Amino acid sequence: MSEPWTVKHRPRTTKEIAGNKLAIDKLSQWLESWSKGRPSKAAALLHGPPGVGKTVVSEAVARERGWDLVEINASDKRSGEVLSRIAGMASTQSTLGGKGRLILLDEVDGINLREDQGAITALLSVVRESRFPIVLTANDPWDKKIRPLREACLLIELKRLSVRDGLPLLNRVLVKEGVRADEEALRLLLDKNNGDIRSTLNDLQILSGSRKMVGTGEVDWLSWRDRTEPIFRVLGLVFNSETVAAARRATSLSDVDHEMLFQWIFENAPYQIPNLHELNEAVEALAQADLFYARIRRTQDWHLLSYALDLMTAGVAMAKKTPTGGFVPMKFPQRISSMSRTRGTRELRRAVGTAIGYKCHLSSRRAAQLYLPVIQFVREHDQEKYGKIADWLGSREELEQLLVPEKGS
Amino acid sequence: MEAALWTEKYRPKTLDEIQDQEEIVSRLKEFVKNGTMPHCLFAGPPGTGKTTAALCLARDLFGVRFHDVFMELNASDERGIDVVRTTVKEFARMASLTTVPFKILVLDEADNMTGDAQHALRRTMEKYTSTCRFVLCCNYSGKIIEPIQSRCALFRFTPLPESKIVSHLGSIAKLEGLRISDGGLKSVVEVAEGDMRKGINTLQAASSMSKSISEEAIFQVVGRAKPTDVHAMLEHALKGDFIKAREELRALLVRYGISGSEIVRQIHSEIFRLAVPEKKRISLVEAVGEIDFRLSQGGDEEVQLSALLARLAAEAQKGA
Repeated sequence: MSEPWTVKHRPRTTKEIAGNKLAIDKLSQWLESWSKGRPSKAAALLHGPPGVGKTVVSEAVARERGWDLVEINASDKRSGEVLSRIAGMASTQSTLGGKGRLILLDEVDGINLREDQGAITALLSVVRESRFPIVLTANDPWDKKIRPLREACLLIELKRLSVRDGLPLLNRVLVKEGVRADEEALRLLLDKNNGDIRSTLNDLQILSGSRKMVGTGEVDWLSWRDRTEPIFRVLGLVFNSETVAAARRATSLSDVDHEMLFQWIFENAPYQIPNLHELNEAVEALAQADLFYARIRRTQDWHLLSYALDLMTAGVAMAKKTPTGGFVPMKFPQRISSMSRTRGTRELRRAVGTAIGYKCHLSSRRAAQLYLPVIQFVREHDQEKYGKIADWLGSREELEQLLVPEKGS
Repeated sequence: MEAALWTEKYRPKTLDEIQDQEEIVSRLKEFVKNGTMPHCLFAGPPGTGKTTAALCLARDLFGVRFHDVFMELNASDERGIDVVRTTVKEFARMASLTTVPFKILVLDEADNMTGDAQHALRRTMEKYTSTCRFVLCCNYSGKIIEPIQSRCALFRFTPLPESKIVSHLGSIAKLEGLRISDGGLKSVVEVAEGDMRKGINTLQAASSMSKSISEEAIFQVVGRAKPTDVHAMLEHALKGDFIKAREELRALLVRYGISGSEIVRQIHSEIFRLAVPEKKRISLVEAVGEIDFRLSQGGDEEVQLSALLARLAAEAQKGA
């Protein structure tokens, strides 16, 4: 296949960009305001799901103004120090011939706080001192770790491409490529990719192949982009390898986060290892791996990670000798799903616990533990007295949310 | 607004009001008389008056001004070296503006601080002794590092004797207009096990059902507040059903919010009631102790306790 369409047909000006007119206007106005001196916010945070054009928009606005674009990508290894150096240089040193400059910091929510120590602080100071506009991009602007950054930025949201905006775009590309497609197929394609322009174009290119006509049949044939598939291959290695080397490969193969991988293995071990003695050995290996994680948390000594990884993969693989009888499907880790499900509950508990702890001189955890049963009991027997307690704590709303569903469970 | 939770409503305000711990109270009163005090370490089980004593001491020493020169931090919520480095230091460093010669910083649940944080605290204590006195409250003095212990006057709080709990709960009942039967009072005291907070909480919960409190009412409160699922969890494990046992464990940790170390404690006492051969009990004690230790080393509660359950399941099968 020749050049990817996403590159070949990448918009060069804002006019060529499909959709997101409001966001582009907002960004342009902010850039124009720089001609009257540095605005109160020296950075803009473009946020939105993958493939909606965050980078493309930034490139286009710079090009239209004849500015230099200095791009620093998150996938590059960046630590606070490196960032300060590169971004700091770019943001304070003048350009040749007084040309404008736009600094693009891509995927700031991809910063790994553990590995890129001080990155956020470094970025913040770059933003504060910059003489040039800075554009940051992120998928999730509400990610806690970028909060300080978010507050220093003008927020601009890029939305998923609608079918209405998407159709003309796809048709333009198809005309240039000399491929025909029926509209129904294109609608289906846009729908499947949920407004992600990049993946839509990739799919379209694959479908066209050598064909000159794309119909709905082809789109159906294209399976859903399955982003969870790799994990099953990795788990297969862990639970079915006969050698240490094979099991260890799981960690290099996997593009899942290793802590996530741990949860997957931990969840599935009892289902995949029917023999109780072997299961005991496997869970013990996981517990040992967990202790290494604890040491890493305590010492921040990340070279210990390799021991944790060996134990959780090879340790589990070597424990299993009796094969699983028949096919047992992998289960999604409860810890991860319940984390999102109970995150609400847990946060409520913490909030209420903090309120009680503040009044009763206890840690939030112990406060919740000692007082919630009492409050729940009072609530079930005397609404009025319960109301007094809830109001005194100033957390009636949270208490209601926390205590009501528990009754049903 | 009047405190709605009775433990606060009836918390003693001055050293004179404290029910028990006479030895300690009289020494603290000496501090008040002399207008000075050393760093203190208050150690003892929950509900024995450590925080109350610290609050009363500060109030007796400084009277109405005490809010300006008194700070309370909870080490479990705000542990970590950073807090010691910043909050504690900031507070300790600033000389007080009022006429009092020093400030008081109370660090609750200090035994939950990491070793590193304690060492950082030790240096801070040393450096700002002239402007600030520390009162550290903890359940186990042994979890406080030696260098801090040696800089503090140690006060050991003991579980309250039944008579003190009876008289205190009796007077609360009177003020709240409750009638409590002798049997009712006796069972609250039993439930409390020397922990005044537990006693008061039980009484308040029971009072929501009726103004007259019987033994049954107390049992009803206790039955609800104390999940007995630890037993069910162990039964599943012994039957070789690890998956069910782990589900119970997750419910305990997440739904009931019971801490891993509390579960370990309960498992420890259950061991002697389980249907397993006598000899096996001892190897189980060793296994439980190992997990307890691992939790103190920062191990994940769910993972480590699961390892214990897996071991139980395997061993039960071996015996069969």
